[in-house]
Amino acid sequence: MSWEDGVEERGESLRRIRESAAQARYDFKRGWKIYRRSLLAVIGLLMVISISVVSIFADDLAVEHPGRNLQDTRDVWHIDYEPRKAAPFSDECDTRYQKVSLTTLRRWDANGTNALSPTRVADNNSFYEDILVVTEFIELQDRYGVTLGNDLVTLETSNKSYFWISEELMENNSLTQIKLIYKFENDAMHHWWLPDGYDVCIFGTNDEGQDLFSKILYGSRVSLTIGFTVATLTVIIGTIIGSISGYFGGRTDEVIMRITDIFFAVPGLILALAFVAALQAIDNFTLPLWFAFLLPLSGLCIYFRSTIFDSIMPGETSFPEANLPLRIIVVVSLVVLLALGGPWKDFFELADSSGWRIFASLIGLMIVGGIFILDRRLMDNISLDGVGSRTLNSLDWRNPYRYLTFRTLVIFIASIALFTWSGDGDNEVTVIDNFDRLWKIQIALVFTGWPGYARLIRGQVLYVKEMTFVEAARSVGAPSGRIMFRHILPNAWAPLLVAFTLDIGGTILSASGLSFIGLGAEPGAAEWGKLVSDGRAHFPQDYWLVLFPGLAIAYTTLGFNLLGDGLRDVVDPKNRR
Amino acid sequence: MNTSEFIVRRILLLIPVMIGVTVFTFAIAQIIPADPAAILCGERCGLVDPVTGKTMLELQRERLGLDEPVIEQFRLYLINLAEGDWGESTTYNRPTSDVVRDAAPVTLEMALFALLMAYPIGITLGILSAVWQDQVFDHISRFLAIAFVSLPIFWLAMMLQLVFGTGTDVGGICDPIFGTEGGCFPIYGRHDAALTYPDRSSSLCDTAITGIACYPSWYPSGGTGFHLVDSWFVTDEALDNINPEYASNYKLFDDTLVHLILPSFTLGIASAGSLLRYMRASLLEVMNEDYVRTARAKGLSESRVIIVHACRNALVPILTILGFSIGGAIGGAVLTESIFAFYGMGNVAVDAIINLDYSVLMGVTLITAIIFLMSNLIVDILYGVVDPRVRLE
Repeated sequence: MSWEDGVEERGESLRRIRESAAQARYDFKRGWKIYRRSLLAVIGLLMVISISVVSIFADDLAVEHPGRNLQDTRDVWHIDYEPRKAAPFSDECDTRYQKVSLTTLRRWDANGTNALSPTRVADNNSFYEDILVVTEFIELQDRYGVTLGNDLVTLETSNKSYFWISEELMENNSLTQIKLIYKFENDAMHHWWLPDGYDVCIFGTNDEGQDLFSKILYGSRVSLTIGFTVATLTVIIGTIIGSISGYFGGRTDEVIMRITDIFFAVPGLILALAFVAALQAIDNFTLPLWFAFLLPLSGLCIYFRSTIFDSIMPGETSFPEANLPLRIIVVVSLVVLLALGGPWKDFFELADSSGWRIFASLIGLMIVGGIFILDRRLMDNISLDGVGSRTLNSLDWRNPYRYLTFRTLVIFIASIALFTWSGDGDNEVTVIDNFDRLWKIQIALVFTGWPGYARLIRGQVLYVKEMTFVEAARSVGAPSGRIMFRHILPNAWAPLLVAFTLDIGGTILSASGLSFIGLGAEPGAAEWGKLVSDGRAHFPQDYWLVLFPGLAIAYTTLGFNLLGDGLRDVVDPKNRR
Repeated sequence: MNTSEFIVRRILLLIPVMIGVTVFTFAIAQIIPADPAAILCGERCGLVDPVTGKTMLELQRERLGLDEPVIEQFRLYLINLAEGDWGESTTYNRPTSDVVRDAAPVTLEMALFALLMAYPIGITLGILSAVWQDQVFDHISRFLAIAFVSLPIFWLAMMLQLVFGTGTDVGGICDPIFGTEGGCFPIYGRHDAALTYPDRSSSLCDTAITGIACYPSWYPSGGTGFHLVDSWFVTDEALDNINPEYASNYKLFDDTLVHLILPSFTLGIASAGSLLRYMRASLLEVMNEDYVRTARAKGLSESRVIIVHACRNALVPILTILGFSIGGAIGGAVLTESIFAFYGMGNVAVDAIINLDYSVLMGVTLITAIIFLMSNLIVDILYGVVDPRVRLE
């Protein structure tokens, strides 16, 4: 066949793409029409958009404050100056409490000191201090906070950033350290979005003098990341397991549903607590190379099979049965190999405890077993005849289904990329390099969250499975994988989308709860739950340390929940024409 | 299927789940990176026992059965569980079953009281918002339903402390408005600090020391742990020995109740939110049924139609949520307990994780699972009784 011969097929596949794009556009318009009917839903959308914008532009919105180290890309705030708290709207943000060591000055024979910012870290990891311009000198104290006479220190009149220290202080050897309290010019704090001359911290500062407003802005990044990551991972895992359970039914379904029952039997937060405790000793998440390739490869095999099979030989369903004893031999020898002589000793390389090794091997067996169960029906029909020509055919541009195989190509490239970019080529693939406490709560939340999705998807699949078009697809001999991916799942996504949106809000709540208990973010991190828990030490008096981070959590969660509620109306079949 | 058959079937279905939960807790305990034997023997681990020639560490491992293969350990764990030996807590130096026995009623009382507060609020708002569908009240209460679910429970708890408690320079609306001293509600603890409550943990009820029986002989010794109930059964003898300010059954009850209100309200608010939505949806569905139309056609008043005909049927599906909301409330208790200083399962679990006390963690997970499964079982059975159609499945 030549290029010209394929004109018709190419036209056909283009027409299909165009048609589906038009359909999508129409669906979106109709959905928006329903969505905007509800004021609450629109408010929710605006809330979500606003919080996303804030998290993206946190760098620009955050007030530059001496307590915040802008050079540090990890957004860590450091503590090397006198801690103090300021109430919201109090005029304290531009006040600096500078400690000056008289002993050092005496050693250097100096008679004064610069007004300096706290130590900061430059891009090349060196330390530096900014020279500040003093606008108002407030007080002079000794190291115990006792007020000394202000006339003992004089501000240089020409450049306003040098303090002359009087002879009387220098000669008083009982004084080793003094504290200068002054206001300084802080232009960086005056942002375009703040009214002119507005130099107060609107949310107050914490006991380390850090601007709470900036911390909350940065906290939005952490919370949104956690929300999206956890929700996405749970959706993926839950969908795979739920659709297997719903589609194959029977014993597979029974086993999976009993497992979800176990997960449902323990309240989510307690389950997550237990799981975080179990993950405590693990500090990086790596997989052995062969294992990292096993997962994408097995997916690839299954995917390729259903696609190629169906597109190249439609209607061909009668393949010779695979040799049953042979299959049993393969399974048994695999299990024996894995259990006895397998590389379990350094499997995962995660923790050095015998229990973990056994748990890991169980998981490995479960995954392998799952693949076997999943592919059983497909395997029954497997035939290795003509694999090469089928592969070539599927890459052929003229094949109207070739855009399906494009996705398999992407999976393959992704698995290669995973290998190339991860780590040291030491037989291991680092999945999560910095497996810190935030990652642990994310993994724990995924672990506790998937059964909900699995049940949801199972119900949907059971519902869609009985519809006429699925029966039609089955009657023309389409394989299971194709029916699942092309016919059932596209018709079951609607409640999934709603659950996904609601789950982002729920995850943000749970993650902040775990952080509040002290299992989540590291101390001092800009995470909302952690901020509330840090503020708890000063709670009734300095209520703002608790009030504002909590409001941020409530705002974000409310936004996602309202959004999800609005989407529920959109996908509700009652609202379809 | 008749009722008893239905109940038996439901109970039988629980068995695999319970076995699964024990496997699960056992697996978690295996993964936790702590050696309970090393924690138990502490500094003496290196000492050598002259008789056997083994170190203390080895002896402890032997005693706990840690030198056995995992399968054998699991078998031992199951046997011990069945015999009521839930292991030894390394944090509290007490049997885990005792720790859990003391903590569970605290959480359960709080959770049940929370649902007691949440149900009337949720159901009333739900009914009203269904009746006034698409009116202003409906929109407000639907917003409230979502807002209730969105509030971080630990934050809400602290805000309630701020507003209804006292001892602060800010907040505390009660003192200026109602002229109370010390806020509307106490914000910490299960009881007033001045009160030694006669229960299992206090020495007051140790008959060996004081010679006083706190509870009548037919009552569980040391009480059930549910103080709202216990306080009515405390004997006069015991009442004489506690702070005279609280020396009556009513005063004890009152003290417990007042301390429960804020934590339970915090805990119940999320359940109230979801209840509101379910009640509204359920009632709206019922309102379209034929029998409601018939009732209206008969000329009954609208309120009678809604209360007698519609609500009674709309409430049936609401029953199913009861089981789940108990689970949710116990999960949420982890957060409220630490704020209100209640020593229930939540606090115990957090302590267990911080100290890597694996046997307590297993115990708490197991007991929450048991409570949750039991409440769901009861709800299922009730549902089957109320709505016979369920049994036909």
